[in-house]
Amino acid sequence: MASVEERVKKVTARVLNLDVATIKMTDSFTVDLGAESVQSIELVANFEEEFGIEMDEDAALSVDNVGAAVAFITKVCKEQGVQI
Amino acid sequence: MSDKKSHALVNVSQPNFLDDVFDYSLPPKIVFDGPAVEYIDGKPVTFDPKDMKTRDIVITDTTFRDGQQARPPYTVDQMVHIYDLLAKLGGPNGVIRQTEFFLYTKNDRLALDRCRSLGHKFPEVTGWIRAVKGDFRLVKETGLKETGMLTSCSDYHIFSKLKFDRKLAMESYCEVVAAAFEAGVRPRCHLEDVTRADIDGFVLPFVDKLMEMSRDVPPELSVKIRLCDTMGFGLSYPGAALPRSVPKLIYKMTHECGVPSDRLEWHGHNDFHKVHINGGTAWLYGCNALNATLFGYGERCGNPPLESAIMEYIGIKGGLCGINTAVVTELADYMRSIGLPIPDNYPFVGRAFNVTRAGIHAGGLRQDERIYNIFDTTKLLGKPPRVMITDKSGADGVVIWVNDFFGLKGEDKINKIKVHAIARWVMDQYEKEGRLTAISDEELEAKVKELLPDYWQKYRRGM
Repeated sequence: MASVEERVKKVTARVLNLDVATIKMTDSFTVDLGAESVQSIELVANFEEEFGIEMDEDAALSVDNVGAAVAFITKVCKEQGVQI
Repeated sequence: MSDKKSHALVNVSQPNFLDDVFDYSLPPKIVFDGPAVEYIDGKPVTFDPKDMKTRDIVITDTTFRDGQQARPPYTVDQMVHIYDLLAKLGGPNGVIRQTEFFLYTKNDRLALDRCRSLGHKFPEVTGWIRAVKGDFRLVKETGLKETGMLTSCSDYHIFSKLKFDRKLAMESYCEVVAAAFEAGVRPRCHLEDVTRADIDGFVLPFVDKLMEMSRDVPPELSVKIRLCDTMGFGLSYPGAALPRSVPKLIYKMTHECGVPSDRLEWHGHNDFHKVHINGGTAWLYGCNALNATLFGYGERCGNPPLESAIMEYIGIKGGLCGINTAVVTELADYMRSIGLPIPDNYPFVGRAFNVTRAGIHAGGLRQDERIYNIFDTTKLLGKPPRVMITDKSGADGVVIWVNDFFGLKGEDKINKIKVHAIARWVMDQYEKEGRLTAISDEELEAKVKELLPDYWQKYRRGM
């Protein structure tokens, strides 16, 4: 099974129309990867679908970069008893 | 000496929403913290704006007279319905104190009779006639106690329209006033074009004469003065010169000619977008009655909007004083239903008056509606703040629309993550399809049904 990092990068690449190989853990979704307002919402929605979780809107949207998203999703999955 | 001061930040743990002024349940209070000073004939004269709180300031209506001059005639039924709503709006204290009718046609007189038969104490019905002695027969026949009459003041009117000179004009007007007294009808002299008149050379001598004539009749017949800013030339600015200065005109009337505030009225026009502020200024400087029309309908650019005068009144008095603000919405809906257009961005009643389009505003509205709503428009006008969806609305705007649509409140509200597909569709409309118009409610409803089927099933089924 793919790791959380791989799955986060795959979703990010799909939503933002990027080559997955170019995405780094330190990349900011907005500054480096160019996510616009609606795309930020789409990212959160797609992460929820990918992992089968529900995220707090404000907390999820305050996550700035790929590495922080991996950590945040890992934490939420644990809290919600979702196997990763 | 410099007026420069330093100002230290006052950090607080709780926000100060200035509730004493911005009590959300009312239009914001109009608070004064000092006198207004106007230099008149070179001397400073002090006016106390707080005096308006206790003075019997009122609104008088001319929807059926000046308001009707700007549109095809109302039917009798329409006038009766509007009059009934005016009575409900102004309430039992008579905040809307009077309304005036033409008396010339059979329909005018029928409407007047039917309005009076409703039995409302306020607004009192008055007449409007030319300054012609014979017209008092009409007033007497209807049994009205007061009528307005044209007494034009500027040389534009006296010389160019009436072909009089000033002496002839004054004598002619005074003859009609005497005829009104004789008929037992209170004359309300409409000083037409006063903001373009020779104040010292005609207006003040004429008003002096009217006050002199009033001394010989019972108080209930004494002349009322309506200052008519016929072309909208009036100015509210302190220091503005006569004849355009509203403060100075009011002062000259009340102090030099001795016109009591309760016999003085301001009638404005909106040719320079100053109509509402000039009306409020007239109140402030000592004129008790502000003449207005519903939604500002009136000759050319219109008159002071009555519903705005209502909001100003509440702001000045600090309470509703018996006013039923919800009737403003009812009147607007009725006016639309009989074919009178009201622009979408028109304050208090336009379809978009409390509709926000910008996503950043929608975000604020979602957190606390007070951020982008002028007062509790749901309670006072039956109009909750809304969002209109365009490319600027973002997911914040979309989620407010969706929650409003489903009627969801508090914990039940959907978060904006759930509406991402609709927000994407909206953006694609503009970015990919090149759309230039706002998204209609019908389109959004269809998209909600398609993209949020579970919510549709849960909240919309059976509706």
